[in-house]
Amino acid sequence: MVVVDRTKKGGQYVGNWRTYMPEVDYERCTACLLCAMYCPEAAITANEEGKPEVDLRFCKGCGVCANECPVKAIRMVKEE
Amino acid sequence: MSEFDVMPGNKAVAHGVRLARVEVIPIFPITPQTTIVEYLGEFIANGELDAEYIQSEGEHTCMGMAVGASLAGARTFTATCSQGLAYMHEVVAQAPSYRTPIVMAIADRTLGWYWSLGPDYSDIMPELNLGWLVNFAESNQECLDMVLQLYKIAEDRRVLLPSMLSLDGFYLSYSYERVGIPDQELVDGFLPPYEAPYPVDPTISDRWPSAGIPPPLHTTYRRLFEEVMEDAKRVIAEVDAEFGEVFGRSYGGLIEKYRCDDADAVLVTMGSMTTAARRAVDRLRAEGERVGLVKLRFMRPFPTAEFREIAGEVDAIGVVDRVVLHGTGGGSAFADVKSALYSLEDRPKVMNFVTGLGGEDIPIDDLVAMGRKVLRVASTGRLEKEVEFIEHPLPKGAEPIRLDEEMPIYPGSDGCAGCGSSIIIRHLLKILGPNTVIVNPPSCSGVNYSGVVRVPWILANYAAAAGYETGIYRAFKHKGKADKIYVTGFSGDGGTVDIGLQAISGAAERGESMMWVCYDNEAYMNTGIQRSSSTPLFAATTSTPAGTVWKGKPQKRKNMILIMAAHRIPYIATASLAYLPDLERKIRKAAEVTRSGKGMAYLHIQQPCATGWYFPPEKTVEVGRLAVQTGAWPLLEIEDGVLRLNVKPRKLKPIEEYLKLQRRFRHLSKEQIAAIQREVDKDWKSWLALEKMGKLPWY
Repeated sequence: MVVVDRTKKGGQYVGNWRTYMPEVDYERCTACLLCAMYCPEAAITANEEGKPEVDLRFCKGCGVCANECPVKAIRMVKEE
Repeated sequence: MSEFDVMPGNKAVAHGVRLARVEVIPIFPITPQTTIVEYLGEFIANGELDAEYIQSEGEHTCMGMAVGASLAGARTFTATCSQGLAYMHEVVAQAPSYRTPIVMAIADRTLGWYWSLGPDYSDIMPELNLGWLVNFAESNQECLDMVLQLYKIAEDRRVLLPSMLSLDGFYLSYSYERVGIPDQELVDGFLPPYEAPYPVDPTISDRWPSAGIPPPLHTTYRRLFEEVMEDAKRVIAEVDAEFGEVFGRSYGGLIEKYRCDDADAVLVTMGSMTTAARRAVDRLRAEGERVGLVKLRFMRPFPTAEFREIAGEVDAIGVVDRVVLHGTGGGSAFADVKSALYSLEDRPKVMNFVTGLGGEDIPIDDLVAMGRKVLRVASTGRLEKEVEFIEHPLPKGAEPIRLDEEMPIYPGSDGCAGCGSSIIIRHLLKILGPNTVIVNPPSCSGVNYSGVVRVPWILANYAAAAGYETGIYRAFKHKGKADKIYVTGFSGDGGTVDIGLQAISGAAERGESMMWVCYDNEAYMNTGIQRSSSTPLFAATTSTPAGTVWKGKPQKRKNMILIMAAHRIPYIATASLAYLPDLERKIRKAAEVTRSGKGMAYLHIQQPCATGWYFPPEKTVEVGRLAVQTGAWPLLEIEDGVLRLNVKPRKLKPIEEYLKLQRRFRHLSKEQIAAIQREVDKDWKSWLALEKMGKLPWY
């Protein structure tokens, strides 16, 4: 039998999919966290100030966060 | 004169079907078969082929359509593989007795037990003994040519049997080779139109085939079928010879011998591995080894006489099988070769190599090693191990990234960037929590998310998913745990509105208190964007392409909400990934309804798909929002029969704002956009009218 052990599961590295990465302008950010709610990969969590922090290991660079940010505080920048 | 092009095997099959002027083509998508029927759709969409193209809602029906069309006297083609072929099985078994000369391409793929998209013959071998002719192609050229040959063989009055053309998934189906496309005029001369001897057409025929005979005739008819199979062997040889005269290529009929002169031993192969085996034999021959190759072209009828002749010439035969018949210890061709030789006085040693299962490559080096082993058996006359499994170590994959926090679904996935179903499954599991069992029919989500969830995720067979779910739910119910575990179907639109509908309907009617969540991306995305009955009006998909004749899908989508309401289940809702608080509230509501044992809760969530609707990935949520604001996807719920629209804009935005973001609608004319607007308005008014009723009258 092939058995799945749920205690051994974890996230999947997808950082190498990305062409553009999200860059958060923390001055502008209002900490609404819509970006985190909509992030298809659950790559965004709240930091100590309640503002979004992107774990780039899980970010594919789709740009949904930047597109949905109501105050345009996220910009997609080309990665070197 | 022939034209040449470089194309995958699936396209070569499609060209064969086009040249054969096939009249009826029922289809259902499954990897790696699907592009065959997509290419055919393109031919028809652009006026290059005039055929009835029927997008069925499941393979069982699909094969029924094929048998029906052939009974009515039409030249008929269909294609499938793997799970799809297994699901067809009942109707596949029926086709020979009706003497329907259907040609069906099987782009071989492993049949689950353990799932794989890669090819082995576990799908086609269980279908061998039903009365079909079964042919295995080695190259893309052979695929095209055999479509033409098989129609000529199958329609011959001495045969009149359906036939399967096996082409290895991926190795042929998707691999590009140079293929000659014969002239239509030559093909027309070779393959005249099909005339059914007894079509079920009362206007021209007073006699038609029957599948009902009394038991005492069964043995007689089975014997007669065996005689027909013997006749088929002669017809196969004749047709191959005639094909050679007309087109300048022939393949040898039931088998082909390669460098078998003076051989002490031969390998027996089938399908695409044969090409690698030719190179292996070349290498061994260059070293002076006397080894040859027999390509098994037809498994049915089986080339018994040919193998008996070979048996008189060699001391050992090594059969390479890409399948294992569990409980027999070896492969399928091995069993047949052995049984063909048993009654001979002097028999060579026969050994078996089982390899390439699940789609694993069979490299030339392996075949060279197999050749050496058979030669050793030939020279020593000793066979120590009858069956050998050729196995390779598993390459090391990436380890999951461990996180401090435990969650029902971890970050990252194999889904496309911007995947909407990812947003949906994450919110679903966030609310349901770890004591959830997901039952998931084949879909993108199984491929992409089953690896990162921390709850049991059961990959269920397509049409039976609501059955799996019911079984799990009833077991928990019996153990008194039904209120502690959420049993949830999580399915795409194909698995819900098409092939899965029967089982869902059954569960809803019985009042199974479980959830069904349909994430609707409005087409079969996992197999490459074929239309489903949830695809909206005029959308272009790969099976409803926009061409010179076709302008996208001509039908409106199925109203699944009203179908579920007809079952009077306690909770039904539509939702959108753009309206997350509404979505989460509805998931909570559905969970509460099912936990209380009141019956089924059905959620139908629209999932904009960047890949299949052709919009940039960052627009997933934006497109979803516009669908609600334009009325293309109304948010509503029906709670104990009371219908409520949850989002009611004072004025709906024009539908064009929604359509213009998506390339699946870019072919639309002004008239088509106006027609869609009319339909949206009509639907919106209908929902408002139902809302006004208070309680739907049949609740």
